[in-house]
Amino acid sequence: MMAHFSYVRPRSLKEAIGHLAENGARVHAGGTDLLGCLRDQVFDVRKVVSISGLSAMRGVEQVAGGGLRIGALTTIAEISEHPLIRKHYTALAQGASEVASPQLRNQGTLGGNLCQKPRCWYYRGEFHCMRKGGDVCYAAGGENQFHCIFGSGGRCFIVHPSDTAPALSALDAQVEITGPGGLRTMPVENFHVHPEDDVLRETWLERGEIVTAVRLPAPQASLKSTYRKIRARRAWDFALAGAALALELDGDRVVDGRVVLSGAAPVPWRSLLVEDTIRGKTLDDRTIDAAADAVVKGARPLAKNKYKLPLFRGMIQEELRRIHQSAGADG
Amino acid sequence: MYYTEGLPVPETPSPGETPGPWERTDVVGKPRPRVDAYERVSGTAVYPSDIVLPRMLYGAILRCPHPHAQVKKVDTTAAEAPPRVRAVIGPGDPKTDLPWSFRDVKTTLFPKTCRFEGEPVAAVAAETLYQAWDAAGAVRVDYKVLPHVSDERRALEKDAPKVHENGNKLKTDTYSRGDVEKGFFEADVVLEQHYRTEAEVHTPLELHGCVANWDGDVLTIWESTQGVYAVQSRVAEVLGLPLSKVRVIGHYMGGGFGSKLQTSRYSIVAALLAKKTGRPVKSFLPREATFLAMGNRPPSNMTLKAGVKKDGTLTALSFTCLGTGGAYPAGGTSLVDWQIRDLYLCPHVRTECTDVYINAGPARPFRAPGHPQCSWALEQMLDALAEAIGMDPVALRLKNVPDYSQGREGNPPYTTTGLKQCFKEGARRFGWEKARRKTAGQEKKGHLRRGVGMAGSVWFVGGGGPPSTVILKLFSDGSANLNMGASDIGTGTKTVMAMVAAEELGLRPEMIRIEHADTGTTQYATPSGGSKTVPTEAPTVRDAAVQVKRRLLQMAAEEMDLPVEDLRYTGDDIVSRSRPDRRIRIVDISGLKRQGVVVGVGHRGPNPEKKTVNPFCAQFCEVEVNTRTGELRILRFLSTNESGRVMNRLTFDSQVIGGVTMGIGLAATEMRILDANRTGKMVNRNWHDYKLPTSLDVPADIVGVPIEMPDAEANISGAKGLGEPVTIPTAAAVANAVYDAVGIRITESPINPLKLSSLLEQQKKEG
Amino acid sequence: MKKLITLTVNGKSHEVAVEPNETLTDTLRYRLGLTGTKKGCEVGDCGSCTVVMDGKPVNSCLVLAMQAAGRTIETIEGMETEKGLHPLQEAFVEKGAIQCGFCSPGMILSGKSLLEKNPNPSEAEIRGAISGNLCRCTGYQKIVEAIQSVKSE
Repeated sequence: MMAHFSYVRPRSLKEAIGHLAENGARVHAGGTDLLGCLRDQVFDVRKVVSISGLSAMRGVEQVAGGGLRIGALTTIAEISEHPLIRKHYTALAQGASEVASPQLRNQGTLGGNLCQKPRCWYYRGEFHCMRKGGDVCYAAGGENQFHCIFGSGGRCFIVHPSDTAPALSALDAQVEITGPGGLRTMPVENFHVHPEDDVLRETWLERGEIVTAVRLPAPQASLKSTYRKIRARRAWDFALAGAALALELDGDRVVDGRVVLSGAAPVPWRSLLVEDTIRGKTLDDRTIDAAADAVVKGARPLAKNKYKLPLFRGMIQEELRRIHQSAGADG
Repeated sequence: MYYTEGLPVPETPSPGETPGPWERTDVVGKPRPRVDAYERVSGTAVYPSDIVLPRMLYGAILRCPHPHAQVKKVDTTAAEAPPRVRAVIGPGDPKTDLPWSFRDVKTTLFPKTCRFEGEPVAAVAAETLYQAWDAAGAVRVDYKVLPHVSDERRALEKDAPKVHENGNKLKTDTYSRGDVEKGFFEADVVLEQHYRTEAEVHTPLELHGCVANWDGDVLTIWESTQGVYAVQSRVAEVLGLPLSKVRVIGHYMGGGFGSKLQTSRYSIVAALLAKKTGRPVKSFLPREATFLAMGNRPPSNMTLKAGVKKDGTLTALSFTCLGTGGAYPAGGTSLVDWQIRDLYLCPHVRTECTDVYINAGPARPFRAPGHPQCSWALEQMLDALAEAIGMDPVALRLKNVPDYSQGREGNPPYTTTGLKQCFKEGARRFGWEKARRKTAGQEKKGHLRRGVGMAGSVWFVGGGGPPSTVILKLFSDGSANLNMGASDIGTGTKTVMAMVAAEELGLRPEMIRIEHADTGTTQYATPSGGSKTVPTEAPTVRDAAVQVKRRLLQMAAEEMDLPVEDLRYTGDDIVSRSRPDRRIRIVDISGLKRQGVVVGVGHRGPNPEKKTVNPFCAQFCEVEVNTRTGELRILRFLSTNESGRVMNRLTFDSQVIGGVTMGIGLAATEMRILDANRTGKMVNRNWHDYKLPTSLDVPADIVGVPIEMPDAEANISGAKGLGEPVTIPTAAAVANAVYDAVGIRITESPINPLKLSSLLEQQKKEG
Repeated sequence: MKKLITLTVNGKSHEVAVEPNETLTDTLRYRLGLTGTKKGCEVGDCGSCTVVMDGKPVNSCLVLAMQAAGRTIETIEGMETEKGLHPLQEAFVEKGAIQCGFCSPGMILSGKSLLEKNPNPSEAEIRGAISGNLCRCTGYQKIVEAIQSVKSE
C-alpha cells in the first residue's frame, strides 16, 4: 500500500533540483504515474518533490525561428487542445488525445508522459523482475501479449507506454533537461534507454535532472504528421500497435519522413526501414505494401504477441493509404 | 392528497381469494424515476463503504501472494509495533482462526495451506486506514511455495500439482435424453466445434467489505451485499450466535452481479477484530483483492457436436464442458449446459460437464451463471448449421422453438414463452432481412466490413418464488411504509415495489416510504439475485396491499354498518356499491385513527404446479470490422425480452442496456490472465489491464424491446426476471455478426485485435 | 508528518491536517466527511473518485492532499443549491441514468465539466468526456442521453 515519504513543494527550479539530487527523491508533477507506483510500491521513495507550482514550466510558446517550446508541466489535455499544435504538429495533438482518460489527461503532464514508468504487469506487480534489480524477466516466458517485438536486447520486454514520445520523436523534437549542471538538450529520439544499455532506467536523466521543456522545430507546410494507435479498448488503454508518421510530401510523393512506432519496443521505436522504403517514393500500392513488410522486418515476437506482426503491417498500410488519399484530396 | 386522482383502483379480492391479474395499470409499467434517485445523484446516499462510526478502527487483511503455499510461520511482531495498531489476528489461534468452508470442503479463516492467491493469512485493526495497511504489510510470513496448476486444461494431467489431496477432479455431471447417435444418424448435416470463453471477474464499482460493531453481545454489520439475511445466517453460524443477535444492514450497495450474494471471510474477520478491540471496525478490500478473491465467471472449454436436417429440424446435440470453480467447490460448470438442454427443440441430447480444481480464486455466480458461455457455443453452432443447410439463422431458430421445458423432469410447459415473438419482433424491428442482404452484398474490396448477427436465450430460473414476507403499514394520514428485507442492488427494486403498492392502493408512489435490507427491522428475504427479486417480491407486496385494503374495508363496514361485500375501496375512500352516496374517506375511518396504523402482511404464494416460469430473450446486432487491423466496432444492438409484465419501463431499459454492455465485455474486452507458466499469479488485477467496456466501446444505439406477456400463472404481479436473460446471448450475437462481416469464426473469447488481426491475415494468405 | 493545509471545497475553505502520503480522496472522505466522492480502485482507472480541481475533472485518488492545498475543489456535494439539484442531476434522475449509483457522482462531475466547457457537445464528445468513468451496471447510454438533454435546454 501507499509508501511513506516526505513532501516538499519547492518555489524554484533550482530548489527543486537541489531536492531531486538527494537519494530517494522523486519528482512529482501531475502524479498520475507516480501515485500508482507509490501505492503499488514499485520503487523506493523517501521524498516527493512536487513541482506543479513552478508555473514557468507550464505553457506553450512560440520561439524565435518559428518553433514551439512546450513547458514540461503543460498538461496532456492542454497539448491535445492547443490550436497551434493541432494545426502544425498534428501527430502530437493526436497522440496526446489518445492518452489514458480525460481525467488523466487533465492531470498528467508532458514531462511526466515522457518519463513515465513502464506498464508491464510484472514490473508493476509483485514480481522482482530484472527492471527492478532482479535477475528474471517474467514476461519472456510468461504473459507477454502486450510486450515488445523489437529492441528487448533479450533482457526486458516492456513496450514504452507513451503516446506523445513517438509523435515528438517523429516531429524531431528536442527535450530540454535541467539539472545540477545546468541546461542541456537532446533529441527526444535519444532520450529513452534501450534495455541493453541499462535495464534499470527508462530515460537518460541523471540524478537531480528533470525535463523542463520540449522544443519543436519550426513547422513546415509540406510536413504531414499523424499518430495512429490500435488498442484493445477505446479508452484508457495503451497501444497494441501504434505509429507516429511525419512525412514531408510533395503531392503524393514522400520527400522524406520519420516513422516512430509505439507498442513495439522498450523505447519509442524509429522504423528506419519504413522510412527508407517510402523515401522518394509515391505512395502507391507497391510502396505501401513494401512499407508494411518493412515495418516488422527484424521483429522478434514472443509466444503471445505474434499478432503484432500483422497488426503493425495492417496499421502502416492503413495510415499510408489515408495519407495518400488526403494528399490526393489536397492536390 | 396522497392518492392518485381519477384513476381506478384494482378490485379487492375477498379473503381467501387470489387477486387476478391487473386488467389495467396506471403506475406499474410506466417509466418512473427511482424513489431513491435523489440520494444517488446528490452524493448523500450512504453506502456501506461510506460508513464512519465513532471510535471506528480500520481493518486490513494480509493475503497470500502465491497461488499455492503453506504458511509456515506468521510473525506479527513488527505489525504490532506501530503505536496505533489495536489488534492483529492470524492462523492457529482457536479463538480467531475459525472454521470456514466452501460448500463441503473445510478450511479456516486463515488456512495453513493457501490454495489460491489472495487467501487470508492475517488481519489487523488500526486507528487509520493507512496505518492498517502499513501494519498488514509489516506482518512477516514464511511461505513454503507449493507447485500450482493455474490452467484447468492441464489440471487433469497426470503430473499436474494437486490442489487438494484427493486430486483435481471435483465432479462430472452428465445428462442425456434420447439417443444422440441415432440423432446424428438422422441428420443431414453434422458439425462439431470447440469453443472457449475466458474467465471474467465481476468487479462491481463498490469494493467488497463491511463495517462491524458490537453492542454488548449483539453484532451489527453494514455490508455491501445482495442479501442481508444470507450474511446474517453465515455470520451467526460461524460465530455461534443466535440469529437474533446478528443484525446485517445493506441499504445501498454499489453493484454485485452475483459476487455479493454470499458471505465472505472478511465479514467474520471484521467481527473478530471488532470483538477483540471493543470498537467498530471497517474493513474493505482493495480492488486487487476483489479481482483475486471475490469470485469470477469461470472459463469454459466446450465442445459441441450438432446435427440438423435440411429443413432445419435439430436432431441431436452432444456437449462437453471442462470448467473450474477455482481452488474450492464453487460451481465451475454450474448451468453451463442449460441452454443446450432447454433452449431449442431437440430430441437427442447428451451433455457432460467436468469441474476441476485449479489454484485460483473460487468462482461465484456471475450474472446468469453458465449461460453466456453456453450461448457462445450453441448460438455460434446454430449459425454454422444454418449456413450449412442454406437457411436464415432466424428461420432456423424459429423452426425449433419449444413451448415446454425439455431439460426438466416431466417436461413441464412454460407458463408463457415469448421466444418466438422475441425472434420475430426482434428481426422486424432490427430490419434483419434487409440488413442481411446488405452485408451479403457489400463490396469485398473495402477494408471496413459490416456484419449482422443474432442469438436467443432462456434463463434457467427467473420466476422467483417463496419464501418472502413484507409488511405494509398504512398510517392514519394515508401514507404508507413498506417494510421488506430484499436488497436493491441497483436494479430499482425499491422503486418497483413502491409502484406495486401504489398501484394496488391507489396511492401516489412518493407517499410510500421503503424500509429494506436490514435483518433487524425488515422482513425475511432471499438474496437479490437470479433475476428473481421482482417476481418474488412484487407479488408479496401486492398481497400485503390487498391485506391492507381488506382490513380497511372491514373497519369501514363496521363503522358504516354495511356488509363488507357491499363496499369498494377506491383509493381515497370506501364507497357502498348499492348506495354510492354512502362513503367514507380512508383517513376518516375511526378504526384507523384509533390504531394509528393498518398493517398488511404479505406472503409470496407458490409458483404454479407442473409448469415452469422462465424469461426469454433474443438479440440482434451490427458490427464493423477493420480487416487491416482487426479492430471491431459494435454499431447497434437490439434486445427483445419476454420477461412477463414490464414493471417500470425506465428500469427495464437500464437493465437491457447494462446487460448488453456487460455481454460486450465478455465478447470483446474482458479476460482474467493468470501467469500460468511460472508463478500462477493473476497479472491483470486492475481496471486498466482487465478491461471493462468504456463509453467508447459500446454502441450508441442499444434498444430494448419488451415482448410483454403478463404472466398470470406465474405470480400475481405477472412479472418475470430480466437482468440475467438480457446478458446471455450478447457475446454470441457479436461473434455471429463478426462471422457475417468477415467469414471468420472466433470460437475463443474475447474478440479483439489480438485475435482478429492474426486470423484475418491467415484468411488473406489462404485466399 | 502531518501538515496543516487549506483546502477550498465547494466554495468553503477548510483547514485540515494531512499526512504527506494521503490522497485527496481520503481527505475528502475521512477528514471532511464528503463521502459522495467514491473510492473504486485508487489507481485512476475507474473515475469513481472524480472531483473538479481548478475547473477540470481529475481522479482524486491520484492527487495528494498536500498537492491540492490552495486549489479549488468541487465535489458532488457542491452541486445542489438552494434552488435544488443541478439540471444535470435532475436529468440523471429523469432519464434513469443511474443504477447502483456508485459511479454517478463521478459521471455527473465529468458531464458537468464538459457542459461548462462545451455547452453543445456532440454524442461522441459526451462519450469521450465520460470515457474515464466506468459504469458496470447500466452501461452508458442513458448517461449520455442525460447529458445530451441538458445541452439542448
